[in-house]
Amino acid sequence: MNPKKLLALTRAGIMESLHYRLGTAVTLFANLIYLVLVYFLWKAIYASSGVDVVNGMTFNDTMIYLILATALFNFLEMFVVWDMSRAIQSGKIILDLLKPMSFKRYTFWSYSGSHVVLFTLTFIPTFIVVMIVTHGAIPMGLNLLYFAIATVLALLVNFNMEMLVATVCLYTESTWGINIVKETIVLLLSGASIPLAFFPEAFRKVVEFLPFRAVYDIPLTILLEKNNSDTLSGLLPLFGLQLAWVLILTCASTMFWNHSVKKITVNGG
Amino acid sequence: MNENAIEKNIRKPKRGFGFYSRIYRKILVQDLKSKMSYRADFVISTFGMIMTNVAGFITFLILFHNFPTINGWDYHHMLFLYGFSLIALTPVQCFFDNNWNLRFMVQSGDFIKYCFRPINVFFYFISEVFDVKGLGQLAFGIGTLVYAWSHIGIPVTALAILKLVVFLLTASLFMIAIMNAAAATCFWIQGSGYVMVIMFRFKDFAKYPASIFSGIFRILFTFVIPIAFVAYYPSLSILEAGDVPMLTWCAPALGVLFFYLSYKFWMLGVRKYDFTGS
Repeated sequence: MNPKKLLALTRAGIMESLHYRLGTAVTLFANLIYLVLVYFLWKAIYASSGVDVVNGMTFNDTMIYLILATALFNFLEMFVVWDMSRAIQSGKIILDLLKPMSFKRYTFWSYSGSHVVLFTLTFIPTFIVVMIVTHGAIPMGLNLLYFAIATVLALLVNFNMEMLVATVCLYTESTWGINIVKETIVLLLSGASIPLAFFPEAFRKVVEFLPFRAVYDIPLTILLEKNNSDTLSGLLPLFGLQLAWVLILTCASTMFWNHSVKKITVNGG
Repeated sequence: MNENAIEKNIRKPKRGFGFYSRIYRKILVQDLKSKMSYRADFVISTFGMIMTNVAGFITFLILFHNFPTINGWDYHHMLFLYGFSLIALTPVQCFFDNNWNLRFMVQSGDFIKYCFRPINVFFYFISEVFDVKGLGQLAFGIGTLVYAWSHIGIPVTALAILKLVVFLLTASLFMIAIMNAAAATCFWIQGSGYVMVIMFRFKDFAKYPASIFSGIFRILFTFVIPIAFVAYYPSLSILEAGDVPMLTWCAPALGVLFFYLSYKFWMLGVRKYDFTGS
């Protein structure tokens, strides 16, 4: 595949998301208020517990984890399901299917532009603020590089999950329902609303092998160097899990999409 | 609408409650009919709604698995607050769900159709969708509230029930106001969809006692983004029946005020929309 073509899609995406500047600014502000809510809640929770460390997480750890999880969430969030259902309703999907490029690849690279913008505008500022506020509670070293790799893998896992769900929507003609189920499961089981460290032992054992964890929990665990992820023997299983899920989900979503695309019916498209 | 109908409406200057409730019933029936034709969607959406409630409940259980109390509130009191917030959030889910479609309508220009009817634009727009799946949340909320109520052991009196109903209605006004205002931002800001998403996430914090906030943020979350009124202050009227804070008694009046302001803001947006002529 010609990389120039793909980068053109990235560029178009960047320009599109920069077009709505005011919207982005408001989003950033609303996000800050959300983080304030998270801060007060956990401060109260830790204050009432009377101890400093709960399940190996201090208040600082929990805050960093949840703040960065929110930042990751904003940057990884894709609207493949919504966009596809609207494209099917309006018939626009035909144009996308006719492009001299596989639909999946086209979708992925069209989103890449907004990923770049959101990463720069939401994740990096949040990261810097967290670093300043916590006086360097985030270790600086090779973990940053590992974190970058883990984030790219998380992006792939997330994209393929989105594609799978979006394909299901071709059959059900229900978008809201399917999407809300997906979102709820991902948010709960990935550790984005409560760090996985707080889950009851038996429940956590199961969750640790599911793909959702690969999206938020693994990158953040690596960044904060928890669970021995600063050693090679601790790091490799995490990457292994991510890679395995990337492979499984990529195959599954490609096969499922190729099978289903023949069945699309577009009314008056 | 044909000319006859328009004339009929013009000749009838009095449009009171009866007129609007008759129209609402008609629109509601149409909406339910069209929903019935997508049965699979209805089933899946209802399932999705139940899932979000179950997930919220699991989050709650995990929290209490690790921490026995939150800011002096024990498990059953928190559960009461949780059930209360779920019920208070039902009206916004059932009756005001069309706000979510506002920005697409405004962007595509379809919104103009609402401006051509000789009835209140806000009323017409909002009445177009009734969200049935919100009723699942209501059932979940009532179950939780009854369970918590019986475990705390608050005596069930006619007065307590009356207070519950009044303050539940009050509480629901605040969330409606928040979502109205959030939706109306799309009249001014393109790509403001995320404002609604994040305001909708704020509601998850309504189920925690507002006493966890301090300083300026306490004021912010009480009077600017009033999530403290979605469950905390109204529910104190029952939980702390002997020592009800002033703000709880103010809640009904404030609720009406917030709703009115959000309505004015929404209508201001409509006027702005007319001017652009898009």
